[in-house]
Amino acid sequence: MNAWGLAWRTVARNPARAALAVSGVAVIGALLFTMLMLSRGLLVSFRALLDTAGFDVRVVSGQGSMIHREPIADASELAAAIGRLPEVERVALVRTAGAVALGGRAEIRAVDIALVGTTESAIGGVWDIVRGSPLPRDEPAGGPPPMIVSTKLAARLRLEPGSPLQIRVFLPGTASALPPTEGRVVGIGGFRFEATDDLTVSTTMKGFASAFGVVDADEADIVLAASRPGAGSAAAAAAIAALRPDLRSYSNDQVVEQFNQNAFSYFRQISVVLSSMTLAFAFLLVATLLTMSVNQRLGEVAALRALGFRRRRIAANLLCESALLVGTGGLAALPLGGALAVVLDRILRQMPGIPERLHFFVLEPQTVVLHVALLSVTGVLASVYPIWLAARLPIAATLRREIIS
Amino acid sequence: MTREPSAIVEGRDLTRLFPMPAGAVTALSHVSIRVDPGDYVAITGPSGCGKSTLLHLLGCVDYPTSGSIILEGRDVAGLGESGRSRIRLNRIGFVFQRFFLLPMLTAWENVELPQAEAGAPKAARRDRTAELLAYVGLAERRDHLPSQLSGGEMQRVAIARALANRPPLLLADEPTGELDETSGEQIADLFDRVHAGGTAIVVVTHNPAVAERAGRRLAMKSGRVVTG
Amino acid sequence: MLRSGRARAGAFAAALMAAAARPLIPAPAPLDLPDILVSRQLAQQAALREGDVVTLAADAAGSGATRFRVGGIYEPTPNPMRFTAKRIEARMHLPDLQALKANKSDPNSAESIGALNIRLVDPADVDAFATAVTDRAPGTSAGPTARAAGGSDPFAVLERFHLAVAIVTVLGSTAFLLALMVMRAEERRETIGIIRLIGVSQRSILLGVLVEGLLIATAGAAFGILVAVATQGAVNRFFQWRYDTALVFVRVTTAIALKSIALSVPLGVVAGLVGSWTLLRRDVVALIRR
Repeated sequence: MNAWGLAWRTVARNPARAALAVSGVAVIGALLFTMLMLSRGLLVSFRALLDTAGFDVRVVSGQGSMIHREPIADASELAAAIGRLPEVERVALVRTAGAVALGGRAEIRAVDIALVGTTESAIGGVWDIVRGSPLPRDEPAGGPPPMIVSTKLAARLRLEPGSPLQIRVFLPGTASALPPTEGRVVGIGGFRFEATDDLTVSTTMKGFASAFGVVDADEADIVLAASRPGAGSAAAAAAIAALRPDLRSYSNDQVVEQFNQNAFSYFRQISVVLSSMTLAFAFLLVATLLTMSVNQRLGEVAALRALGFRRRRIAANLLCESALLVGTGGLAALPLGGALAVVLDRILRQMPGIPERLHFFVLEPQTVVLHVALLSVTGVLASVYPIWLAARLPIAATLRREIIS
Repeated sequence: MTREPSAIVEGRDLTRLFPMPAGAVTALSHVSIRVDPGDYVAITGPSGCGKSTLLHLLGCVDYPTSGSIILEGRDVAGLGESGRSRIRLNRIGFVFQRFFLLPMLTAWENVELPQAEAGAPKAARRDRTAELLAYVGLAERRDHLPSQLSGGEMQRVAIARALANRPPLLLADEPTGELDETSGEQIADLFDRVHAGGTAIVVVTHNPAVAERAGRRLAMKSGRVVTG
Repeated sequence: MLRSGRARAGAFAAALMAAAARPLIPAPAPLDLPDILVSRQLAQQAALREGDVVTLAADAAGSGATRFRVGGIYEPTPNPMRFTAKRIEARMHLPDLQALKANKSDPNSAESIGALNIRLVDPADVDAFATAVTDRAPGTSAGPTARAAGGSDPFAVLERFHLAVAIVTVLGSTAFLLALMVMRAEERRETIGIIRLIGVSQRSILLGVLVEGLLIATAGAAFGILVAVATQGAVNRFFQWRYDTALVFVRVTTAIALKSIALSVPLGVVAGLVGSWTLLRRDVVALIRR
């Protein structure tokens, strides 16, 4: 009988104890697996979300940050210049502002919304139209500005394609007296970047400017660019930076990295802290279990040594026992961890300002590999002391003690 | 000119001290013993006289404070733990008072285990295990766990295990200590058969039924051999 | 909080931060310059001291550039929602800010603000007051500053998250604890068998196990709390250093300590009883048999 066979028989000798130990490892391992998913989950999910928009370079003003953006003047000229770059395939302009939407129903007061103006008429990357149509490609001459509203806003204000919608932006000074802008809902859909507590309205650039009482502001908060296939986002960002050094160009990778360093860092660190604690916990508990198990079997171990079993064989047996407990529990931890991740993800996504489609926990193959590797190392380390105990025990003294006790 | 056969094991001027908080205890003091092939030696004496200590030294389970152990012509002092393990596995069989069978293995598996450790092929292990269990009269109990065996049956399985790798020397420490008289007789009979098969036996015992079957008796007292 | 011009306020803050980050040339300090307070982080970054004269502008082009005297350096109140952000900020009197941001061609721009904070005589009136304000001033939004219980409040979400993690940890450690207790009971199998053999009742043995479990669980819980109290300082120091903030991340309060004891002590006692009960159910002879 080899070490695995002996280890299996030893573990199976006390099925209740083994089941409890494996359960403990499975639950703690599930937490470890979940935390490992958290460590990169936001990054991966955010990156995927950015990529769905169809643009891989973002250009903002040289002042401010990705969140607090200064408007870029002469935006249409800038868009044309960027569009002429060989590395760039297409360009879109985006403006954003806080506003209130005034519903048609008397009992519904102003609802806070995020107003988005864009030149990208298709915007199929960020809107999933469920009713009506997307924004028209060309700016309509005359008539109320076309608008797409999110399904949540549509439900709140009972809007349908064709419904009127009044928008009022927050303006300082004399402009605060401007009346609200009346638009017309042309489509209703899901906005991929919408947070749980956000309501979004998208319109054309002309419609956005009209809400500010300005005919032709020609400003943009963000310029989006899609790199030409083969050129790559890094090359496109570099070309734009060379064209306009006063602006800041970020590829999606760079945007993700910025968020990684700032907004997401708390969750990454929580992940590290909880993963470390989980591993330490698992180590302590498996080591304690194995040590107690060895202490209960000192007579057997001494007898095996007296019969001629070498220390390394005893060590191999214990290592295999640890591997069985940790390995079985670790495998069971994978589906458990997946289920736990779903629950925790659901909790965290309730946080305000988080896009509904953003996930905190994302499963990647490397996560499984890391989980297995970490638990394996833990299992080995946890068996070091019990192995030392068993390998170093004085055979004769132990036999004598076992007989007397 | 006849050549004197070499002893299987020889202990020369063995002393074993155990350091204690209240002062060192001399378990053995200048004891010499020689076991030749085919010998059947019984070591008797009151509790605490050093019988088991002597057995442990002969079985390379313990280290003497002074003196030497010569096993089949080789001084074991120069051997590392790995070498001593090899000796215990292949050249010495050990039978304990408390049997020390692995409780999660069947009788068959307990007997097979040392053979697997020694690297015997599967077929050879199977044959040898069947032979030994039949030899000790437990062929039909091969699939029983130790918890399903009586004390005497467990000790017979332990003897079979000790003989698994055909050692020339069998060391037994109080093999009937936990058994009733009838079972003790059965073990004594078994030892006779093992001895008749050519295996040298050294047995530590309080049981007169076992001691009187030995070809040679060593009486010990206070760590010394007084007769024999 | 009465809110208007949220987006513009944000843009202004960026400009202010950007302007404040530009190189500042200390100059002689006329006493008639208005005072501002700068955050500790800004003071460190721009090497500012009390009494220094700085120039602030509304945008990178230098619009409305105005000189101010650094009247003091303050530690920004930690904002848990923005603790990762570098607090490069300054505070000034509202008229100064309005003058700085005013559009010279719009006389009403100097009258514009981003928000009003209002303290009510009776805090219970908050909902009615907010409704009345939005009715009278269409296009504004009003709401309470107090955290809504539950829902999507960030702290409520984080609390639920941590509670879920804690529950999982407790479940895992319960499984291990039971395994250890079963092993411990098995170690004392013979002893328990002998005690039963000489006539001690199961009830008495269980009582002994209960007392023993209570002592060990209490000692363990106390030790755990001591470890938590000892490590909270290290955790806080690390995150305060990492994010350059005075925010306290971990605090072991009396309530938390009591909750921990209330959970762990019964758990330890029950685990001990369960482990022993599995033994006591067995036949006495089976207990003492080897």
